Amino acid sequence: MKILKLTFHHIRRSPFQSLVAFFTVFACFFILNSFLLVNRGLSNVLNYFETKPEITIFLKDGLDQSTVESVQKELANYPDIKEIRYISKEKALSLYKDMNKDNPLLTEMVTASILPASFEVSAFNPKVLEVIAQNFSAKSQVVDEIIYQKDVIQSLLSWTQIIRYSGIALIALFISVVFVVIFTLIGMKITNRKDEIKISRLLGASKFYVKRPFILEGIIYGLTGSIIGFLLSFLIIYNFRTTINSFFQPIIFVPNLTFFEPLLLLAEISVGIFVGLSASWLGARRYIKW
Amino acid sequence: MEIVFDKVTKNYGPISVFKDLDLSVSPGDFVFITGPSGSGKSTLIKLILNQIKPSSGDILINGKALNHLKDKSEIDKIRRKIGVVFQDYQLINDLTIEENIALSLDIVGYPSIKRPSRIDEVVKMVKLQHRHFLFPSQLSGGELQRACLARALSIEPEVILADEPTGNLDTANAWNLVKILQDINKKFKTTIIMTTHNTDIVESLDKKVIKLDKAEHENT
Repeated sequence: MKILKLTFHHIRRSPFQSLVAFFTVFACFFILNSFLLVNRGLSNVLNYFETKPEITIFLKDGLDQSTVESVQKELANYPDIKEIRYISKEKALSLYKDMNKDNPLLTEMVTASILPASFEVSAFNPKVLEVIAQNFSAKSQVVDEIIYQKDVIQSLLSWTQIIRYSGIALIALFISVVFVVIFTLIGMKITNRKDEIKISRLLGASKFYVKRPFILEGIIYGLTGSIIGFLLSFLIIYNFRTTINSFFQPIIFVPNLTFFEPLLLLAEISVGIFVGLSASWLGARRYIKW
Repeated sequence: MEIVFDKVTKNYGPISVFKDLDLSVSPGDFVFITGPSGSGKSTLIKLILNQIKPSSGDILINGKALNHLKDKSEIDKIRRKIGVVFQDYQLINDLTIEENIALSLDIVGYPSIKRPSRIDEVVKMVKLQHRHFLFPSQLSGGELQRACLARALSIEPEVILADEPTGNLDTANAWNLVKILQDINKKFKTTIIMTTHNTDIVESLDKKVIKLDKAEHENT
């Protein structure tokens, strides 16, 4: 009798126990995958804020072109600078109008002369921005105001870290639950099939032979639970992709499909198989004593 | 397969089933083990299968003492060469008779391609050709006994251990079963060790008899 046939026979003979094992693994991977996809979105949010012009230097009114150019040159001399954008008064007005195009009352009275020109500076290394902020705040004859988003990023970073750490703890907890459920269930199934195992042993079956269907059963729970858990959470998140992304606009919280998804699926299948295999193997080793 | 009991004693707590039992079964022998209930006939079968251990003494299979085997997988290998007809059948209840036989064939590593024809052959041999797709709970005691024999025969064993195989059979079926065992013994030189109460069968056949008594056991 083929081992797979025997394993499915075991699964069919105690369908409710098998369903409990499957749903536990499925629920674990559904939550795990949802968390990973949300975490990926949060990384995108963080990345957006980290790479956004993190420092905005508003210039005093009435500066001549050569002063503006010397400020730009000075900024460009700092290391790890990613981008320096000069926003003239006219450009600032155009941005303002664009931002408030649905509210004409706010744009009616505003002219370019009342908006300050500015430099938006982003860097690969946020520490540089801190130095720039310190140095330019002393240049009161050129600089009107400096807006530095350090606090926003710090707060976002700490929240993201809290979410990541609690996610890791949650994953560890769920994997432990899956392990214990499969281990206990295999133990119960072995006890239920004690006579069958004893008969097989008397007919000359090795210990590994009688363990095999139970080990394979654990692998099947890990495999199917991880695949279906992944697919369902993936489909739900990607189905609501447009709504989620429009909520986080302009940040792309759920990006287009890349190699990340198949790799994540493979990783989750591997984890599922590993947990199913180790739990059932240990369960079989613990309970098969004949 | 040669089976030797060398001064084997088996006690269940304070009760001694047999003491210093010596016996020898050579390849190709047909041996009856007789004796009253409680004389240790089934215990003897269990000892050969290493299902239970002797309290003292050695059981040698082809010269190897079962209780001194370092490699425990040797026991499995020995069991794969033995076909057993259990008194309580020991069939797996949620497998059909055909599946029970197939499981046994799978355990001994019988070639997959030959399994269906081998199953057909043995179910015909024990006259269960129209019942092999049924589950054990759907068969009578006699049919279960024959199903158990079919499973034992299927693996082409070196030894058949039959524990009261005629106990649940009518006279005609009992003789039919003994005839099957005789044929196998004659044709394939398979060693047969059969425990029985049926004195008619034992006396009618000129075979080696080991008589076990409650008080003392002697090898006749």
